[in-house]
Amino acid sequence: MSANNMSGPQRVNKIIRYKPPSTEANPTLEDPTPDYMNLLGMIFSMCGLMLKLKWCAWIAVYCSFISFANSRSSEDTKQMMSSFMLSISAVVMSYLQNPQPMSPPW
Amino acid sequence: MRSVYLLLPALLLLLALPVSRGRYNDDFDDGEDLADFADDNDFAEFEDVSEDTAAEPEMDPPPRVAPPAQPAEDDEDEATVELEEDGQEDGFEDSDTQDQDMYSKYDPDEFDGMEKPSQSLKDPLIIHTVPAHLQNSWESYYMEILMVTGLLAYIMNYIIGKNKNSRLATAWFNSHRELLESNFALVGDDGTSKDAVSTGKLNQENEHIYNLWCSGRVCCEGMLIQLKFVKRQDLLNVLARMMRPVCDQVQIKVTLNDEDMDTFVFAVGTKKAMARMQKEMQDLSEFCSDKPKSGAKYGLPELLAILTEMGEVTDGVMDSKMVHYITNHADKIESIHFSDQFSGPKVVQEDGQPLKLPETKKTLLFTFNVPGMGNTSPKDMDTLLPLMNMVIYSIDKVKKLRLNREGKQKADKNRARVEENFLKQTHNQRQEAAQTRREEKKRAEKERIMSEEDPERQRRLEEAAQRRDQKKIEKKQMKMKQIKVKAM
Repeated sequence: MSANNMSGPQRVNKIIRYKPPSTEANPTLEDPTPDYMNLLGMIFSMCGLMLKLKWCAWIAVYCSFISFANSRSSEDTKQMMSSFMLSISAVVMSYLQNPQPMSPPW
Repeated sequence: MRSVYLLLPALLLLLALPVSRGRYNDDFDDGEDLADFADDNDFAEFEDVSEDTAAEPEMDPPPRVAPPAQPAEDDEDEATVELEEDGQEDGFEDSDTQDQDMYSKYDPDEFDGMEKPSQSLKDPLIIHTVPAHLQNSWESYYMEILMVTGLLAYIMNYIIGKNKNSRLATAWFNSHRELLESNFALVGDDGTSKDAVSTGKLNQENEHIYNLWCSGRVCCEGMLIQLKFVKRQDLLNVLARMMRPVCDQVQIKVTLNDEDMDTFVFAVGTKKAMARMQKEMQDLSEFCSDKPKSGAKYGLPELLAILTEMGEVTDGVMDSKMVHYITNHADKIESIHFSDQFSGPKVVQEDGQPLKLPETKKTLLFTFNVPGMGNTSPKDMDTLLPLMNMVIYSIDKVKKLRLNREGKQKADKNRARVEENFLKQTHNQRQEAAQTRREEKKRAEKERIMSEEDPERQRRLEEAAQRRDQKKIEKKQMKMKQIKVKAM
């Protein structure tokens, strides 16, 4: 394919393939929200399970939802699902152990 | 209801208690009763018969007018009768009203030994509240219902936000597709397919970031377009944006080959963006040390500022067409950055300065704000089309732009200066690194010598090492002599 066949500025021989930018070079440009929320969700769900605090478990569910909403498509879905399941199990276990409704702090 | 049923037997029990207690006490307290049995008693003659009771043996027991205080009280009936007798004696002499008073009066002696009912109730009645989860009402779970409602609202917002972002991205691509396809041979590539064929669609990196790679054109290597929308899918972000509005952005990065661009660094954009970039960007901070100048000097709107390596560059870039483009769309321009020394933002390293100069690439960067301040509609994407025209025009222009001799000399001097500064700063570190490397080599050699089994070879290697060290010392001495001679 010679350049003369093209009428415009396109040049097929000058095509360069796309290379995704490496994230190690620019760690500051990456959005840390999904990772933080994931970690926070796991901590809250462990607190909710161990200390039998219902509000911890609910916050863990919210954290895992937020982490999912902000996640990149390249991220592992297994990680997302595991944190999600952990937070749901924290909520269920808190209610099985103590079926009383949650009391507001005020 | 259950509590009422609990109350009745409890009350009955409690009332029965003092009654039964009183019965036992009376046997010991009624010393006066013993006088009744004076006649029957063997010791009657020794007993002191009080005046109160003197009249008794003479009188017949008067008809019983026993007030039915407690029907179970048999032992006290006699005492009651006795006292009544006394009372009655008086009553016959006095008026009738006294009779009534007597009967209505509560005789304190009658209930000797019996405590007041209120005092005996030591344990107050506790009515327990039924636990909320056993009640048959959902109202007590209102906090949980609130939480679930919040989650549902989050999910709804996620779906709506994701769809909106997707629609905006498609609208942008549809309006720009023709222009891109007429300029680039490859429009859309995710890097994974075997052949270099246009995918013809955007790469979705996130729910709010879309990429497009275009390549195959004269004057440039390739162009990466990033549609960075606001996070409409995250409810927290939506609420935060209500406090502080943020724009959708379109970022375009054009990478050029070495022959496509002359050596200069230039940037134009909003004053805020320029101040920020001068601090953050490696090349702007090194080459454009002057404060951002107002764009008014070159016919640009007041809100835009210029950062440049030298005045000649600005004159070269800001020709009439560029000025026309920028002035017409000044509200949408966040920053435009041309650089032959682009290496990204300053890298903050923990252990001092980096040992090597960062790799540079000839780049043109454009950041555009989508009008609407977050409340964009798909129609607004058409307004960005002229800006894409400007980008294409810039690529061609940069290829043609060449500095004159003076400018080139200045530029080369600048670059040499920057490199020297960098080397000076890292001199100590590089020395240390070289020293450690030399020590490592020596140690490795010594180990090799020690590990040699043959003693002959060992001796020979040792001698060779010694000779080498000797030579090095001699060389150093020669150098010092030469320097001394030169100094003189």
